[in-house]
Amino acid sequence: MPQHQISMVLDLNKCLGCQTCTMACKKLWTDGDGMDYMYWNNVETRPGQGYPRNWDKIGGGFEDGKLRPSELPTKEDYGQTFEYNYAERLFQGGMQAMPQEEVRNTPNWDEDVGALMLGENYYFYLPRLCNHCTNPACLEACPRKAIYKRAEDGIVLVDQDRCEGYRYCMKACPYKKIYFNELLGKAQKCIFCYPRIEKGEVNACAKQCPGRLRFVGYLDDPESAVHKLVHVYKVALGLFPEKGTEPNVFYVPPFNPPRTGSYGKSVLEDPRMPMDYLKYLFGDEVIDVIRRLEGELHRAQSGGTSEVLQLLIGRDEHVRYQIPKHEDLIQIQGVHKA
Amino acid sequence: MKRLECLLICSAAAFAQNALDPAAAEWKSAAPVTLALHRTPPLYPTDAPAALEIPSVQAQIIHSPAGNFVRLEWADKTRDSAVLPKAEHAWQGDHLVTQSAATDRFSDACAVMIPAKPITGDLNPSLQMGDPDHPVHIFVWDGTRGAAVMEASGRETTKRTGQSFPAQAQYAAGKWTVTMQIPDLQAGTPFAVAIWNGSQQDRDGRKYFTIWYRAQ
Repeated sequence: MPQHQISMVLDLNKCLGCQTCTMACKKLWTDGDGMDYMYWNNVETRPGQGYPRNWDKIGGGFEDGKLRPSELPTKEDYGQTFEYNYAERLFQGGMQAMPQEEVRNTPNWDEDVGALMLGENYYFYLPRLCNHCTNPACLEACPRKAIYKRAEDGIVLVDQDRCEGYRYCMKACPYKKIYFNELLGKAQKCIFCYPRIEKGEVNACAKQCPGRLRFVGYLDDPESAVHKLVHVYKVALGLFPEKGTEPNVFYVPPFNPPRTGSYGKSVLEDPRMPMDYLKYLFGDEVIDVIRRLEGELHRAQSGGTSEVLQLLIGRDEHVRYQIPKHEDLIQIQGVHKA
Repeated sequence: MKRLECLLICSAAAFAQNALDPAAAEWKSAAPVTLALHRTPPLYPTDAPAALEIPSVQAQIIHSPAGNFVRLEWADKTRDSAVLPKAEHAWQGDHLVTQSAATDRFSDACAVMIPAKPITGDLNPSLQMGDPDHPVHIFVWDGTRGAAVMEASGRETTKRTGQSFPAQAQYAAGKWTVTMQIPDLQAGTPFAVAIWNGSQQDRDGRKYFTIWYRAQ
């Protein structure tokens, strides 16, 4: 167990699907050779195929304490990377800007499509990154012991010198958040911006988020927003808890707007999206969380004060982020053990 | 430690031409020995079971004034190798990114393992990459990444030395032929061979292997 566990909470009710986080990460970390198709942070529309395609259905994680078999996503599953005919469009004129190849799949192929329930459309955006799990399946699977979880902050990293590109980690990760750089023959993944975290700076994806939906801090820091949202108010849940990896990225589940003509009814009485879908993503506990959040909403709408909602508004950075520099980490007194 | 069981008769010859050429005439005079391949048990629950489709590898060894050479030949219906562009830009910069063409392909490969230090007596190092008292050197040829020398002193300890070695490969008529120059593969040196079939996702311990043989 690490001495401290860095963590992120994402309020899905605030996500705009703008991909600014995706681009912040891409420009900072994955614009090297062989990393063209990698988005360590991506935002996908749910329900939808996801990135890589069908990642939630192809295996990985644990079952009865053992690693589950899995397929290895293909390059096409991640989606093509392509250029546009800029030179022709800009300098020859008379033609549309078009991709230079036929496009069959991209990382955000089914953006905003969603699904229908009782004739009404529903969807939400799901930003995803490595979950820096407490029980990482990738670490368990690596025969090279190239993957390690840092004692000081719980960040999971791939030692690029030890990695031989065997890709057992890619199969084992139930979130398919490890990528293969074929040119280098190495597995690569989200590093939770550890050089920034060490200096007390928040991750690039969170820093750039216009929706201000990301909260970052140490789970064992009782003063942190992430600790309060996960362990005190209990309104944030990990993705696919049944996969057994104990993710450390948490989500405040989405409400979606009320259904047409359902004014006055609760989300659970007349949901726009099937609760079974939310249970599929976040486990059965999501119903309790939604009930809790709805109670807070009612309190606020009745003129009362909701500490949870105030925190979730999170207008200012000091509300959302509590990241002591590494040299000051010793001052955090852990009070919670999950 | 496994007791030495098998001997392999090798030839001595002076090469008139490039000894690494798999078609060099001298190889025709060196009698090939068929080494039975065994399959590692399923080690990794994330992978589907593999088929035993490559039953053997033919090995020839020639000790010559030019050096010690080994030639391996095995049947493999699918050629799994790729020519990759070089990764020149690790992080950032004003350049077009060179793409990874695939995420799910693995290469055909072979390796020769020998003790890293002379063996005393008739006991060989552990077949599982040696052991702490009996480290090994592994000469790996990979259809995509070429030749590399690794060292190990037990399972899960293999690491690259950063050195390469002379090797040449050709694939024709459903067969791989790989020649290697291994200076320490002298007469009497124990050696073991491993073969990987990329099309069934072989890599690491998911492979075919022989028991120890001894070059005579």
